[in-house]
Amino acid sequence: MASNAAVPFWRAAGMTYITYSNLCANMVRNCLKEPHRSEALSREKVHFSVSKWVDGKPQKPTIRTDTPEE
Amino acid sequence: MAMAALRREGRRFAAPLISPNPVNTFRSSLAPTEEQAFGGIRGISTQAVRNRMKSVKNIQKITKAMKMVAASKLRAIQTRAENSRGLWQPFVALLGDTPSVDVKKNVIVTVSSDKGLCGGINSTSVRVSRGLHKLTSGPEKENKYVVLGEKAKAQLIRDSKKDIELSMTELQKNPLNYTQVSVIADDILKNVEFDALRIVFNKFQSVVSFVPTTATILSPEVVEKEAESGGKLGDLDSYEIEGAESKSEVLQNLAEFQFSCVLFNAVLENACSEQGARMSAMDSSSRNAGDMLDRLTLTYNRTRQASITTELIEIISGASALEG
Repeated sequence: MASNAAVPFWRAAGMTYITYSNLCANMVRNCLKEPHRSEALSREKVHFSVSKWVDGKPQKPTIRTDTPEE
Repeated sequence: MAMAALRREGRRFAAPLISPNPVNTFRSSLAPTEEQAFGGIRGISTQAVRNRMKSVKNIQKITKAMKMVAASKLRAIQTRAENSRGLWQPFVALLGDTPSVDVKKNVIVTVSSDKGLCGGINSTSVRVSRGLHKLTSGPEKENKYVVLGEKAKAQLIRDSKKDIELSMTELQKNPLNYTQVSVIADDILKNVEFDALRIVFNKFQSVVSFVPTTATILSPEVVEKEAESGGKLGDLDSYEIEGAESKSEVLQNLAEFQFSCVLFNAVLENACSEQGARMSAMDSSSRNAGDMLDRLTLTYNRTRQASITTELIEIISGASALEG
């Protein structure tokens, strides 16, 4: 509950609380001093592939990689 | 010498006619080529057994190496999994766990591994998910699966591919971290409609025991409804919540954050169980390879001994025939 005024805005922008908190966390990480900063950023790597299923068939998987935030 | 050769020739021609190879009956059946031996090449071929022994030895080396790798990975991931338990415990204290809640849209999140050779943990979580699916299904109800990991996908595709809504793989390419799992959680929240999410995973207890576990996360609306009807969730009003937001907003934020935290723990626990199960599976398979190697060595030595004995008998009897 850091900033009361911002809450409706990020929700209105179609973000979930998770996206919002991740965005905030990444900002904090960017504020670190250098040796710690790159270390903290490299720790949080994202890589996985998602595929939606329609009528019992998997659609083409989309790979999401190295995008800590969308 | 000439007589011995003659005897051998005679035996070779006579054997199929007179008796069904009395020599071969007490020798190993692994050496059928013995009778075709030509001048100088004698004795039973042990090539087949030797090849077999070599391959078993190689397999044993591989399983031992896999066990070592799993053990070192386990140690790294175990501390992380145990530390991550502190993330969801406050949520259970605050919201309670309600596995028996009865809602319309259930989404079962099955957590499994991408790789095999790790004992029965994947089939356990698939079995529990199927049971849960059956348990919560009914008229006017919608049950969907969200599958994490390659192995559960391969098993669920067989009989309930109509119910799979989303599948995610290649989770463990980088070491697991919260950012990644929260992005996954975010994807699930955005793409799937649910009243209750049920996460099925193997909770790590020790290297040899994994407990299939379900964690239930309710959607904000259901949480509110439950809160009104009292019970553990009714206590939520007694907390003082900072900020001027409405209660439903707080609950929505909480539910989303709870989901990401619980999923994070579930993925870590499952990865930990996977390494533990792989370790014990590889341990038992190296032991089995060792047993097999022992048996083969015994056969090999016995065959060798038998051929030596036969040769000695032939030489001695040949010599005594010459003397006689």
